[in-house]
Amino acid sequence: MRDDPSVIALVARVSDGDQDAWDELIERYSPLVWSICARYQLSRQDVADVGQNVWLLLVEQIGKLREPAALPGWLATTTKRECLRVLRAVRRHEHAGLPPEDQMPPDPAATTIEQEIITAERNAALRAAFAELPRTCHELLSMLMSDPPPAYVDVSATLGMPVGSIGPMRARCLDRLRHSQHLVAVLGNQAEDIEVREPRGEHRG
Amino acid sequence: MSIVAKSWDDDDTLLAALKQAVHARRDVPPEFVEAGKSAFAWHNIDAELAQLTYDSSRDSELATSVRAESASIRALTFSSAHLTIELEVTPDSLVGQVIPAQSAVVTVQPRSGAETVVPADEIGLFSIRPIPPGPFRMYCRTDAGVDVLTGWITL
Repeated sequence: MRDDPSVIALVARVSDGDQDAWDELIERYSPLVWSICARYQLSRQDVADVGQNVWLLLVEQIGKLREPAALPGWLATTTKRECLRVLRAVRRHEHAGLPPEDQMPPDPAATTIEQEIITAERNAALRAAFAELPRTCHELLSMLMSDPPPAYVDVSATLGMPVGSIGPMRARCLDRLRHSQHLVAVLGNQAEDIEVREPRGEHRG
Repeated sequence: MSIVAKSWDDDDTLLAALKQAVHARRDVPPEFVEAGKSAFAWHNIDAELAQLTYDSSRDSELATSVRAESASIRALTFSSAHLTIELEVTPDSLVGQVIPAQSAVVTVQPRSGAETVVPADEIGLFSIRPIPPGPFRMYCRTDAGVDVLTGWITL
């Protein structure tokens, strides 16, 4: 994958001890760690412990990461390993007669962890792009994303915007979002992924 | 992939993707994110991480826990490359040992609240009293200068 320039900059600042950069990194990647934990159906306390260990390992390792682009993959692998460790302990407790680890059925999450990384990166880019939109766009799109979607008359009343302007404004805001640097970086990554993956065909279907 | 990327040309699909992204972030509990942020306090501390490698409440055979019942003492083991910390839960305190046996300083860090510092004697024995009421971790510095930090412990 191509490096997202903003992540490279963040990792560099973190290595210099910048807490704000670290916070940003956690904001960006906590959904990835969380979503992987969710696959293993751990208790809330176990998920909290897995998270703690992953973040502490990241603090320890981040200075040694040679490629910032490897960070999502490292986080996903580390999270998965920590989840499995907890899961094995829980299973040992509940089923004393469980077969040894090498005879256990293949981990159902293994095949899709790569997809989880791609989704998380795409979501992070979308959120980063969204955060940089002008306030009017931010308010409008936030309202339009609520469940159930509000009627335009309600949007108009809340935002003080003529009903007739909502449609065009929505289109303009989404277009700004689409052309954000954050999304361009992610779409570039996806284009490269296609070239690498399609001949193998095993990720499809 | 190409289908996903291309379809962002469509406003409805892009808005749906954004909604999914915003929800994915909203699904993460605030305390999970906060714990991640506070982990950075350890960035300038050159400590090894000690993982929980044994917990009697999870790892012991069923027969043992049935037999032990009322008299059961919970035992935990944390291991790092250079140091092992064993911990036993007694009714009113935690009794631990640093292995290989050596004197050290053990700092008990609750997730919230003040730290306490207890010494480990020359054979590595230490005790923590009272038992921390909530999640905590131990930071151990041996006299030889090895720093080890355990993961979070909830009793």
